Amino acid sequence: MFQYEKKLQYPVRIKTPNPQLASVIISQYGGPDGELGASLRYLSQRFAMPYPELKALLTDIGTEELGHLEMVGTLVHQLTRNIKPEDIAGTPFAAYFVDHTAGVYPQFASGFPNSAATLQSTGDVIADLTEDLAAEQKARLTYDNILRLSDDPDVNDVIRFLREREIVHFQRFGEAIALAKEKMNQKNIYFTNPAFDK
Amino acid sequence: MFPKPDKPTEDVKPEVPSTPVTPAVCNTMNGTMPSCAPLSVPYVPFQQKGSPRYEVAEALDNGTLFPGLNLPFFRKANAAQVPATPLAELQALEFVLTELGLYLDTHQDDAEAMELFRQYAALEKAGRERYEAQYGPVTQNATAQHKTWAWIKDPWPWNYQEGGKA
Repeated sequence: MFQYEKKLQYPVRIKTPNPQLASVIISQYGGPDGELGASLRYLSQRFAMPYPELKALLTDIGTEELGHLEMVGTLVHQLTRNIKPEDIAGTPFAAYFVDHTAGVYPQFASGFPNSAATLQSTGDVIADLTEDLAAEQKARLTYDNILRLSDDPDVNDVIRFLREREIVHFQRFGEAIALAKEKMNQKNIYFTNPAFDK
Repeated sequence: MFPKPDKPTEDVKPEVPSTPVTPAVCNTMNGTMPSCAPLSVPYVPFQQKGSPRYEVAEALDNGTLFPGLNLPFFRKANAAQVPATPLAELQALEFVLTELGLYLDTHQDDAEAMELFRQYAALEKAGRERYEAQYGPVTQNATAQHKTWAWIKDPWPWNYQEGGKA
């Protein structure tokens, strides 16, 4: 089960609202490589994982991603705090505003609603862990692109923390594949799927 | 590295899997790899035991406990520092536990890391109690230590007001 801790993983203190920046950062909330998809991916994949330390890893990284989802939601909330209609009219944030006001909604930067079609839970040990490596890279590059678009030091401080976490998670998923391989058929790891073929 | 099970004659898979046991032969920015390995599978070098670590506040600031994994984007200069607040101190201790927890998931036989986890967990427990006594409960259960239902009090974690006060 999950219990709430009334604090963020990392401080988010945005002094200057900036709705245009919020309208691209929202992609790491509900976008194709965002934190909602990341947490759902790992917390769903773990049910088919046969190896105890990798059940732990998927649970722990999936849980950390939920904390990142909260941080990104906090970024969007603080960047749209106390804004007036005249701050919005004619800016790229207007399309978001007309549907969601200053609410936080899981969508891509393009406006497409969050979709489970952006993630997989295949029930196959190697396929899932290999997807997870790619997922961490895609989240990392999205944070790179946000850093390219943002000149707000308060935002960049948070984004570079989140970006670094993707790199650490990539390392752990890589180690996870090595640990899984040790336990699989040593001559041909594709001989069976140990999550299904008992 | 990535050794086959010690007893190749037995069909059973090992109950307690072991992480690769290798001396720290590579430098900080590198991990270990098998010299020969099956084709057509991805490989990421294994982080070595005894890797250098940051201090607590520095770990939170960098987003990792391990200098060897700290691979920043070139646009780094224009970023604020972690604020020196009691909450950030608690967040830093908890971050080290999160980071060590992930490391231990894939390095379960690293006794030094396990001992470090114990030490930081004790520090975090004490730090959390001090923080909650002054600033209010972080978990609903901890509200039992307060006279009133302080759980509901502002600020919630996403609240931060212009001018600096949370």
